[in-house]
Order: sequence, then structure tokens, then C-alpha cells
Amino acid sequence: MAESDSTEIESYEAAVERLEQIIDRLDSGQAGLRETLDLCREGRELVTYCAAELDAVGEGLKELRLDELAAKLEAAPSE
Amino acid sequence: MGRYARTLREELRKRARVQLIGEVTGLRHTPKQTYFELRDADGAVPCTIWANELANLRLPDGALRDGAEFVASGGPDYFVGSPTSSPGFSFRVTHLRLAGEGDLLARLEALRKQLRAEGLFEPQKRLSRPRLPRTIGVVTAESGAARRDLLAGLRRRGWAGTIVWGFAPVQDRRAAPAIGAAIRRLAELPELEAIVVARGGGSLADLWAFCDETLCRTVALLRVPVISAVGHERDSTLLDDVAAVACSTPTHAAEAAVPLDCVVARADLQRGAAALRRAGEGAVRTRSRHLVSLARGPARALRRERTALNQKTREIRAAGERGLAERRSFQWRIALVVLDRAARRAAGAEASSRREALRRAEVAFRAHEPQHTLERGYTLAEDAAGAPVTSAAAARELDRISLRFADGRVGFHRD
Repeated sequence: MAESDSTEIESYEAAVERLEQIIDRLDSGQAGLRETLDLCREGRELVTYCAAELDAVGEGLKELRLDELAAKLEAAPSE
Repeated sequence: MGRYARTLREELRKRARVQLIGEVTGLRHTPKQTYFELRDADGAVPCTIWANELANLRLPDGALRDGAEFVASGGPDYFVGSPTSSPGFSFRVTHLRLAGEGDLLARLEALRKQLRAEGLFEPQKRLSRPRLPRTIGVVTAESGAARRDLLAGLRRRGWAGTIVWGFAPVQDRRAAPAIGAAIRRLAELPELEAIVVARGGGSLADLWAFCDETLCRTVALLRVPVISAVGHERDSTLLDDVAAVACSTPTHAAEAAVPLDCVVARADLQRGAAALRRAGEGAVRTRSRHLVSLARGPARALRRERTALNQKTREIRAAGERGLAERRSFQWRIALVVLDRAARRAAGAEASSRREALRRAEVAFRAHEPQHTLERGYTLAEDAAGAPVTSAAAARELDRISLRFADGRVGFHRD
């Protein structure tokens, strides 16, 4: 339960699922102090990740045109 | 040569008359004849119809046009050529009508059956769709309600990521290849997480581009999930079958492209963060209280012990004082016995008056007993011989002096 630090967050879905598990576990009141603090730390990391993901799609719609994008890609010198 | 050509024409004309359904392309009118091809995804047949026969059909104006679906009745024919014109094969059309909903549906059903048999409805549905994509592609007409409605749907979900627009015609014979090309190019963008294909409602003929076999095969094998939002609730295209998700409106397409309602998700996340904070602080606070109460335990025990000890000390002191008093009163009782005996020895005629005098002497004696005074906290200064020193002046004359307390003497030397 407590081994969370090394776990990579794969996606928003995975992060939210894990966060729900953590909150359920904390709400159950069965976690000891050490586990509670570990879960809280892991949960805070997940919240930070999710907030960043939501921020990434919340700062203003960006509209691109495929034809312009393709033209740019073709014009750019290949690396 | 001419004979062979005529024999070939006769042979072809013997073939059964059939009805063909396909898309009109390469339409060309001459004063005598009208030429066009009827084609579908598998192939094409060159067709001709006499101008007067075409006129007799009284087709609506502009109905016969490139991209329209037509049903042609007739049979194969061969033009043997002339000294000034080239020979050629054609399907001689004797009757022509716009393909009806029924014709198209029959063709759609056949295509649907074929693609399903090939398992092409499944691959897109197995693709995972991210709940919160950052970049989505949209193929639609540049000026259309679908574009506006999709944007409104995304805005309602609080999503403001990146959209790559792949604009394409969505109705006519150029539509299917253009849509297919846009989808393929969008799928090449590595950051793209889903593609929406959107168009408003229409007749099956209007939506026929989205039943194009080549387009549907392209979509079926694409590794990016495609969300089909073509037509309204009652319209069903082949693209709907092969796509990962089929939606009846652009609003639904927005929900399918971004399954997460970002407005709700932001509120949920805040609640989650608050729950975590409460749990963390609560766990520490509860345990701190417990620790504090545990830490108070020994202090309480100590206090209890100390109180008990003080009580005992007081009791012991009281007992000690009581003992001392008893011892003193014992000494006094002995003194009284001695005095009493002396009184008995002095008994005579004035025995009673002497006894009375002795009683008074006893009281006086008790009052003047130095020990009694010392017990009240006074100190008696004595010289080396034990004689009382009764003034400061006398004390200043002495080298040694001792102070007598109730419980003993302490000697002092003049420095």
C-alpha cells in the first residue's frame, strides 16, 4: 500500500482511480498512522498531476488547421 | 474486321438486361447522346443514353450530375466504329432513375454485411479512448453547424485543449476521398488522441459519402479512435458501424471525444484534495491527542503519588510532634510525682494549705520552665559555664557563646 513513490502516473484515468482507492482507504479509518501519511503524500501527488492535466485543457482553446500544419511540416527542413 | 465487330455487338446484345446502381461520374452531354460512368468501390461501367430517351425520362433539373447515385436499366452494347469514329463498349441505358432510399439501403446493407463478415466493425471499438485528451482532430465542413455545435459542446464540458481542424467537403463525390485523406493525415499527428467526423443531418443520399467502402475500411484499421457524428438520430451510415463510437449529435460527439466533464472533474478534484487534507491532519491530530493523554498519564500518577507522600509526611510529622508532646508530658508527670511526694512528706497541721502552696509553685514552675519557652521558638544564650547571657553587652564580652534551642545546643566562637 505504501510503495507509491516510484509508481509512474500513467494517465488521468489511472490517477483518478488510484485517488478514489486512497480516499476510500482513508475513509475506512483502518489505515495506521504511517500508512495514512504515505497515502496522503501519494494522494497529494496524484491531485497535483490531475490538476496539471486539467489546467492543460483549461487555459484556452487552441485551434489549428490541418492544411496549414501539413504545409508547415513540409516546409520545415528535416532534422 | 467489321464483321467480327458486328458479331461481337450481337453477342453482347443477347445478354440479359440488368439494373445497375452506382455513382455517376464523368458526365458528358452531346447533341445525340449522354455519356457517363456508373461506379462503386469495386469498379465502373461506361454508360450511354440517347439524348431523346433521357429527355423522355423527365428527370428533375440537375438530378443527373456527378456524384449522384443512379439506377440504370439496360444491357451491354458495342459501337463498331466508323471511318471517322473509334469503336467502343458501353452499357446502353434505356431507363435511368435517381437511386431511391431503398436502393441505397439495399446497397448499404450488402456493404455492411461484407464489412461485418470481415470483422471490420471491431478494431476501432477495442481502442482505448483517453478520458481527458489534450488534442483532438475534427473532420467536418469549414462552414457548418456541426463545427459550431461541437465547439459549444466542448465548451460546456469546460474543455479548452487543442483542436486540429481537417476541413473537407461532406457531400458529393469528392467528399469520401477528401474525408479519408483528412482522417489519415490527422492520424499521423502523434499528439492526436481522437478524431471526430461530424456532419449535420440529411437524406441517405446526402450522407452517402459516409457509407463509402474505401473510407470505412480506412477508418476501421486506424489506430486512433474515430468518433462518428454524422446525421441525426435516425440516420445510420457505414462509418457509424466501423467507428469507435457513433453519436447522434455534435453535442454527443463532444462528450465522446472528451468523456471527462472538466467542470465536474475540477470540483471533484478539489473535494478529493480536501478529503486528503482532512485525513492527513485528522490522523495526526487524533494520534497527537492520544499521545498527549498518554504523556499525561505518568504526570498524573506522579502527582497522585506526591500527594500521598505529602499526606504521609504530614501524618508522620504530626505523629512525631504528638510523640514529643507525650514524652514531655511524661517528664512533667514524673516531676509532679516528685513534688507530690515532697508534699506528702511536708504533711502536717497546715498540710492542706502547704499542698495548695505547692500547687501554685508547680504552676509557677511550669510557667518558668526554660524548656517550655524554648519549645515556643525562643533561644537561650549561655556562656561556657552554662550561665545565661542576658544582654548584648554581656555577649560582646565573651569568646564563646552557645545557643540553646529546644532540641539542643549550638556553640559559637568569636572570630
